[in-house]
Amino acid sequence: MTAVAAPTAPTGRGTAGVPRAAASGRFAWLRERGMGASVLVSAISGGFGVLLIAATGLIGAWLLADPYLGGGDTVVAVVAILSVLLVAVAMYVAAIVTANTFATIVAGRTRQIALMRLIGASARSQRAQIARQGLVVGAIGAVLGLLGGTAGAMVLQWAADAAWGIDVDYSVVQPVLLAPAVIVALTTWLAAWAGSRRVLEVTPLAALSGAAPRTAEEAAGRTPRRIVAIALFALGAALLALGILAGFVTPLGVVIAFLGGLASFTGLSLGATLVMPPLLRATGRLFGRSAAARLAAENALRYPERSSRMAIGVVMGVTLVTMFAVATESVKGVMAASGGGEVAGEMGQLLDTFSAVMMALVGVSAVIAAVGLVNLLTIGVVQRTRELGLLRALGLTGRQIRAMVLFEAAHVTITSVVFGLVLGIAYGWAAAQSLLGSVRVPPLWLAPSFVLPGIPWLIVVGIVAATATLTLVAAVVPTRLATRVSPVEALAE
Amino acid sequence: MQISSSDLGLAARVHNLTKTFGAGESGVRALDGVSVGIRRGEFTAIMGPSGSGKSTLMHIMAGLDAPTSGRAWIGDTEISGLSDLDMTILRRRRVGFVFQSFNLVPTLDMLGNITLPFELDGRAPSALERSRIDGLVESLGLGGRLRHRPHQLSGGQQQRVAIARALATAPDLVFADEPTGNLDSRTGREVLALLAAASRDHGQSIAMVTHDPVAASHADRVIFLGDGRIVADKPSQSAEAISSHMLAAEVSA
Repeated sequence: MTAVAAPTAPTGRGTAGVPRAAASGRFAWLRERGMGASVLVSAISGGFGVLLIAATGLIGAWLLADPYLGGGDTVVAVVAILSVLLVAVAMYVAAIVTANTFATIVAGRTRQIALMRLIGASARSQRAQIARQGLVVGAIGAVLGLLGGTAGAMVLQWAADAAWGIDVDYSVVQPVLLAPAVIVALTTWLAAWAGSRRVLEVTPLAALSGAAPRTAEEAAGRTPRRIVAIALFALGAALLALGILAGFVTPLGVVIAFLGGLASFTGLSLGATLVMPPLLRATGRLFGRSAAARLAAENALRYPERSSRMAIGVVMGVTLVTMFAVATESVKGVMAASGGGEVAGEMGQLLDTFSAVMMALVGVSAVIAAVGLVNLLTIGVVQRTRELGLLRALGLTGRQIRAMVLFEAAHVTITSVVFGLVLGIAYGWAAAQSLLGSVRVPPLWLAPSFVLPGIPWLIVVGIVAATATLTLVAAVVPTRLATRVSPVEALAE
Repeated sequence: MQISSSDLGLAARVHNLTKTFGAGESGVRALDGVSVGIRRGEFTAIMGPSGSGKSTLMHIMAGLDAPTSGRAWIGDTEISGLSDLDMTILRRRRVGFVFQSFNLVPTLDMLGNITLPFELDGRAPSALERSRIDGLVESLGLGGRLRHRPHQLSGGQQQRVAIARALATAPDLVFADEPTGNLDSRTGREVLALLAAASRDHGQSIAMVTHDPVAASHADRVIFLGDGRIVADKPSQSAEAISSHMLAAEVSA
């Protein structure tokens, strides 16, 4: 008799743990979903670091070459500090994204890992293997970033020469450019290690038990971390308040406020699993009670840790961009008030340029977070193939699937953008207030004065439009994958 | 003028069904000219060894897969040739499913899973349907656990939720695919008894695919499949009789 299980159509499914292409060769795992995006993330952050550091060197060379400019050293020092800070933020976001991606990949590989454990591999060796894959991913990204960043710096030098005739005898290729590349490779390695924590929880038995995907990954109550997060946030908020108070007397209040902002924001991102789930839940209520919306709302909170970290990256990017925009707008407001209605043209232009450059630079972090978001949504759908097949069998139409995936993406983007806008306005206002609280403005000419938060509506509209685009882009690939799921195949797995 | 399924007292039927996977030399003919009807109000078992085509037959009858040739009806609706959307809506309203691995939606609680077919249809259960669901919850012993999520339940409890979900819409036909495959024998017997009771007491038409003679012995009728063809069609049988029939088919093959 022909005891042949009906072979299903070859659709190249990339489901949990099954590499999409024929897995052969030592680096076949690189084709696994999520790895490519991780390479991209480390390449962006590495390239950004290389470019900024090269540009800092270039700016230093320009300033020092110009005999008419005084105080070049201070400017170079400020630019260097800013560069390091910006690169650090981008790499931090990249590390969060990478750790999250690897955690998700591990969740999808559970059965495969369990099988290896069953055959005799130790949990430690399995985890080390995943961390090594992180190192390879980071190294590839670092090399790409190094090449791209250096090329970008060369273009910048050439463009400056062509546009403004700034020509200095300075080579952008410096040994120091290796530093961001190496750091990216190492942080990716570390992030993969951190993200693969759950490998240790996979038991060999998981390979034997029937299809038992983990259904509820409770946001593990890691209390110490929460305490640190809350303490940091409280400290930061106190410092912010202190900075604002000090700002009524001296512009140096902004330094205290800056430290407060740093501490409170770090606290927020550490405590993302505390803050984000309630916000995500609130957003879920906005979508109504249709089946697609309800399923999407539940999905967004299925892995609270994963969604929280996915969202917090976007929150960071949006907060930073908004903060610079609001601070600039508020400062301009004060200057206009004290100058009798008009901002001096040159000064206003300088401020606008500065804030535009800063927004573009912190925008890189937002882009990294967006890549992570798209990637995680995609893996999330791939790992749910079976469940999607079930829903199709029970009567979920293709249209409802599309709506569900779109809702899921919108859930995260809307929550993080609204939260980021609120935070950005608060931080931007705090910066302007602590810097300019001691400036006397009409009609009373009294200090302390209250700085009205200036809200740059054009930029807010831009951010909202970018969010809408991100949501649609983030939904494209998962939607295509999800609507392609055939119930028969999915249920046969 | 064609005779309709209901004239024949059938909940579903297929005519001259063929299904081929792959093409040419390597192609596998999973179904080879199968014609059969599932009688209304009966508990029918579809038996056969692995690769006999029983799952493929069920998938096509349930509108999950399309045949290579032949026709299929659910009630009086011909489903061969329906668009994906029409087929989906038909499954939602008129077909119930019970699977081997329970297949509940992990993010929804028990009640959410049971009422899912209504939600997918964009409506709340009517008063009549609500009382039907209450009755099911009662008779399946699920009361008090309605707010639990699937991972908090045992396999047997999950399968009972799946049965409640399948019966909630009072579908034309419930398909059960190896419903006891992942259960211990005692829980498996309970599940089979529940299915048999749904058919006997409420006239629910049920088609169950299985290769377990004990499971098939709970059915009113047993259809044997082998090599993509129907090889026997018998009334209720004892597990021993089914076993020996299967064994004989195995030896002669």
